[in-house]
Amino acid sequence: MTNRPLDHRALVWVRKLVLPVMLIAVWQFWASTLPTGSPAPAPLKVLQTLGDLLSTGSLLSATVQSLGRVVLGFAMASVLGIALGLMMGASQAVRENLDPIIESFRPIAPMAILPIAILWLGTGTPTALAIVAYASFFPVIINTVHGVSRVDRKLVLAARTMGISRWTILTRVVLPGALPSIVLGTRLAMGVAWTAIIAAELAVGAKSGGGGSGGIGQMMFVFYAYNIDLNAIVVCMAVVGVVALLIDQLFRLVEKRLIPWKA
Amino acid sequence: MTTAPGSAVQRSYRTLWVSLRSFAVFFALWWLLHWWNGNPLQLPSPLKVFEALWGLLREGEIAEHASVSTLRMLLALSLSILVAVPLGFLMGLSPRAEEYIDPLVEMLRPISGIAWLPLALFIFGVGDTLPVFIMFYVGFFPILLNTVAGVRQTDARLLAAARTMGIGRWRLLIHVLVPSALPTVMVGIRLAFAASWAAIVAAELIGSPTGLGFAIEWYRQMLMTPKVFAFILAIGVVGYVCDLGLRSLQRRLTPWADGTGASS
Repeated sequence: MTNRPLDHRALVWVRKLVLPVMLIAVWQFWASTLPTGSPAPAPLKVLQTLGDLLSTGSLLSATVQSLGRVVLGFAMASVLGIALGLMMGASQAVRENLDPIIESFRPIAPMAILPIAILWLGTGTPTALAIVAYASFFPVIINTVHGVSRVDRKLVLAARTMGISRWTILTRVVLPGALPSIVLGTRLAMGVAWTAIIAAELAVGAKSGGGGSGGIGQMMFVFYAYNIDLNAIVVCMAVVGVVALLIDQLFRLVEKRLIPWKA
Repeated sequence: MTTAPGSAVQRSYRTLWVSLRSFAVFFALWWLLHWWNGNPLQLPSPLKVFEALWGLLREGEIAEHASVSTLRMLLALSLSILVAVPLGFLMGLSPRAEEYIDPLVEMLRPISGIAWLPLALFIFGVGDTLPVFIMFYVGFFPILLNTVAGVRQTDARLLAAARTMGIGRWRLLIHVLVPSALPTVMVGIRLAFAASWAAIVAAELIGSPTGLGFAIEWYRQMLMTPKVFAFILAIGVVGYVCDLGLRSLQRRLTPWADGTGASS
């Protein structure tokens, strides 16, 4: 009787594993029926390629380069987005004047800006940074403005009545009130930024004939266009997924630490 | 929050005036930058961009590429809805089905649609299938997750009441579960549209000989910068108009739902 829930939990785990394991098994079987020399990826070959890429260190350095760009571009966007967002939230005049411009840029996808970024900044890191910063700017600013607008007016008025300076109100009343929304915005922004960097590196690689920009997106493009190594492409895709997952988990952890009253 | 004086009409005139004023400042700044930069290949004047835009509109080039992109988007979005909504209902209603399917979904979801591009290029080649596949993939997850959430949110009392009245399973689905989940599903569709519209540009830029994304890159290579700007503008406008369309569809289909959902 006592190990009944344990049995149940084990059963749930088995159910959860059925489809992924089946998928990989079918994939491996399908690949083994192909003639040798076919470029089609297979799970075992993917694992082998992962080992190779890890041992040469090229996968790690490409991932680190992409991550570095994401963090830098994201930091620029966050500083600008949070500062502007707080100003827009605090002053109606600022909001009225900036809102139309921001709202008209919002539907323009980051990748649409890429050709212009290449024209202005070339095919290296500055372009990648610009795309990442552009992509992550909108979630940050929109959620910051939203957060400030939800801060209890009575708290602000009470603080003002007590003769507290505007700056102190901003940092002690408005900012903590808007924090949950701001943190949510940064988490969304980081997700978007990671997608954008892959797209930017991939497209820069595709359009500049493999010009040296580095990063994991570029690595994928090289495996597509020059080496034709689909196993390596699948490895890169898996790395992209795992990094996205880790970033998301990290931000959820920060969210819990920073705003324990909400999580 | 807003405490602007005057009637609604006066307020909307004021909003219009403020927007016009900010755009005037924006274009003035652009012009200054253009003049200071001195290289029309890098930053053409706003006037040149509007000239290019007008020309492209008159020759029908924008309409041509925009219709290709919009059709692809509609096709991909319909496919995502057709697959994700029934699957979402299944997963929302049966915990067993969710246990089976969810791990696969969570395994694939972190891999962005863009990361599929090289593999998809290899499988589908350059053409129509590639952008449609990427957009289908990108749109699939928001619709699925929102459908599951919407089905789960259904008021248990409503379900119990309907069951007490001896309603059949099929009618329970049509008359209780679907109306209750629809607002959340619609939010999912709008999120899916936003994500897939962002992805189409990347997909067309790299893997298609037609469409708005392709046109931007094509004119960059031709160094016709005003046309690049015009097409970027077109992407923004078409995206905005489609979102307006979805919003009004949302209001028509689910007038009982409040708000239009969080923006992300």
